[in-house]
Amino acid sequence: MRFSVILRYVGTVMLCLSAIMAVSAGISYASGDTGFYPLLLSALLTLLLGGFPMIFVSKADSITTKEGFMIVVGSWVVSCVVGMFPYLIWGGEFSLVNAWFESVSGFTTTGASILTNIEALPQGLLFWRSATNWIGGVGVVMFALLVLPSLGTNKMALSGIEMSSLAKDNYRYRTQKVAKILLTIYIGLTIISTLALKLAGMRWFDALNHAMSASATGGFSTKNASIGFYDSPLIEWILIAVMFLSSLHYGLIYSTFTRKSNNIFRSEVVRVYVAIIVGATLFIATSLYFADIYPNIFTSLRQSVFQTVSLITTTGFATADTNLWTPFAVVILIILSIICGCAGSTSGGAKVDRILLYFKVLVARLRGQQHPNAVIRIRLDGILQEDRQVNTVTLFLTTYFVLILLGTLTSTLLGLDLLTAFSSSVAFIGNVGPGFGAVGSLDNYAELPSLLKIQGSVLMLMGRLEIFGFIQFLFIRMWR
Amino acid sequence: MKGIGKRVTVAFLSIVALLTASGVISLFELSNLSYDADEILSASSRDMEVSKNLLRSAHDHSRAIIDMSIFGKEDKSACRNALSELDSQISSMREDAPVALQECLDSLSMYSARLRSLTENYSATETVVIDSLTVEVHKVDGRKWYVEVYEPSYNNFTEQVKRYTTLSHGQVAPRAAQLSKNAYRSVAPVLISLAVMIAIVLMFYFFIYIYGVKPILRINKALTDHLSFKLPYKAKAEMIDEIKELNDNIENLINISKSNKKQESDAI
Repeated sequence: MRFSVILRYVGTVMLCLSAIMAVSAGISYASGDTGFYPLLLSALLTLLLGGFPMIFVSKADSITTKEGFMIVVGSWVVSCVVGMFPYLIWGGEFSLVNAWFESVSGFTTTGASILTNIEALPQGLLFWRSATNWIGGVGVVMFALLVLPSLGTNKMALSGIEMSSLAKDNYRYRTQKVAKILLTIYIGLTIISTLALKLAGMRWFDALNHAMSASATGGFSTKNASIGFYDSPLIEWILIAVMFLSSLHYGLIYSTFTRKSNNIFRSEVVRVYVAIIVGATLFIATSLYFADIYPNIFTSLRQSVFQTVSLITTTGFATADTNLWTPFAVVILIILSIICGCAGSTSGGAKVDRILLYFKVLVARLRGQQHPNAVIRIRLDGILQEDRQVNTVTLFLTTYFVLILLGTLTSTLLGLDLLTAFSSSVAFIGNVGPGFGAVGSLDNYAELPSLLKIQGSVLMLMGRLEIFGFIQFLFIRMWR
Repeated sequence: MKGIGKRVTVAFLSIVALLTASGVISLFELSNLSYDADEILSASSRDMEVSKNLLRSAHDHSRAIIDMSIFGKEDKSACRNALSELDSQISSMREDAPVALQECLDSLSMYSARLRSLTENYSATETVVIDSLTVEVHKVDGRKWYVEVYEPSYNNFTEQVKRYTTLSHGQVAPRAAQLSKNAYRSVAPVLISLAVMIAIVLMFYFFIYIYGVKPILRINKALTDHLSFKLPYKAKAEMIDEIKELNDNIENLINISKSNKKQESDAI
């Protein structure tokens, strides 16, 4: 394994981050706030750190799978490290652990925050927070691949590693084309949602930040009360649409616009996904209405649909304190936080594709018991699933739940109540953001012990790197 | 970028630039911190000085009142001077005082005004001038007046000065906490620069080793093996620039030497 090549490619990602830090510093300079110096210094340090390997290492003609793996996981970890520089230098509520947590939460699009007063942050730092969401949404390596076309043939190896195998199924194109599709949809969605939010009454700065956060299904807001601050049904509906679209497979969105046969309307996964959203919304709204939490069914529906979409897409924006909702609604929301969006989207979590495949395997198993000689084929969205793929999915889901249980166990050991411990573990590994109990939709993670914040950041990274990627990174010595 | 010399120079200059930047940041942050610490200390000593001056002026006024009321001295200028000194000190304190101390200064002004009115009233009750004739209208018992009327007000004023001193010292704690926060902010960029510098120095060592030291060691070994044991020349290492050229040249030289030997043996 050539570490020099790995350093060069990780450095390339850092150069992109440095450029965005410089843009954030520009915003701080324009608004004359205290974020300018921390952001500019961070940008310079990141530039030097990222640019240094390029002095010695020339562009590699090809990279191996092992090297690609190291580049992807290394880029994520290093991005989180340099991402905390502006927070640490600025100070305020950011201790070392808090800055690390906020940075990991940003890049993994979790959107969990340790800030008790978000509005006290300078504009440049608020933009940097949203930018970490935005970069993380598309994937830090994919982001570098998108903005640096000179990476050429190595795009294939790197994007193949960062993208899950399920996500790749619906991209029936070459990697170059996939990158273009991602770029077009992602930037297009961000621009359209910025304009829509501005027209709905947000300030330009807030509209851009919320659009970046929503299209990445991140959940960082510029307001302490999140979207509840605006109390505007129009803003909520715009964000619902953006969050929903961002949680669909980007390849399917592209196919729908280009009128291909494998589009959103024909996708089995999307149909199940929509059915889950509609069902959950109705159940929660009914529960809220009959529990007299909201004065009428329309308000119940409005709150219910926003929170349902916000949690299932792993965004984590809030319009209401879900801790005040009925236990039935809370349980549904926790289940949604486990299921999450579609593969190939910016959302995290177990993914509805895997859950659907799991149930198909279950049905096939039951049928197999009834008809022992039958050859049962499992298809997902018309694509035949190999045994290896099915095994990977079941192993993924098992590991996913084991990690949630381990997270809950250690959290309760360190003094959290069961609801907070379980829901925060689900929120971390699913990159959802808000949990329930002490870490509810309108609360934050400031009061969590430092050890749990570190555990949470590891779970967030694991969730974002689809678990196995991160675990393999930890056993890198075996790779030699 | 081509040329090992250029690469090393640029890398070295990057490290020097980072070192210089770290030094400048440290100096900048330390001077900020030192300025903040000086500011707190000078504010504290200024408050002490002001309190001392207030007490001295109050004491001077009291002495002047004793001279006037008990010992019957006619000169009232000492009294007036002490009072105007008090007023000017209070008004100058108002300019720098934080909001939390303004209420205390209001009380000080009030007690100072009380001392002034007592002094003026005493003077008024002492003598009245009618058509150039000084007539004793009402002779007050100066000693009794001092003890019963003036002294309580004087004590109130000095108590208020003490309260001001205590309060102004109480202001040091939050400012010191802010200073400690600033100290953290000052240290963070320096520590981060240091961490980045360590990372870059490690990378520099790594690159020098794999692109400079290791290839030369491998070339040397391969050449030694070739010369000593007639093994084929093969130096396995990542090579760039002049080191790669050197390796290629050695290979060419060996090939030329081989072909010369073959030609010689063919000729024989």
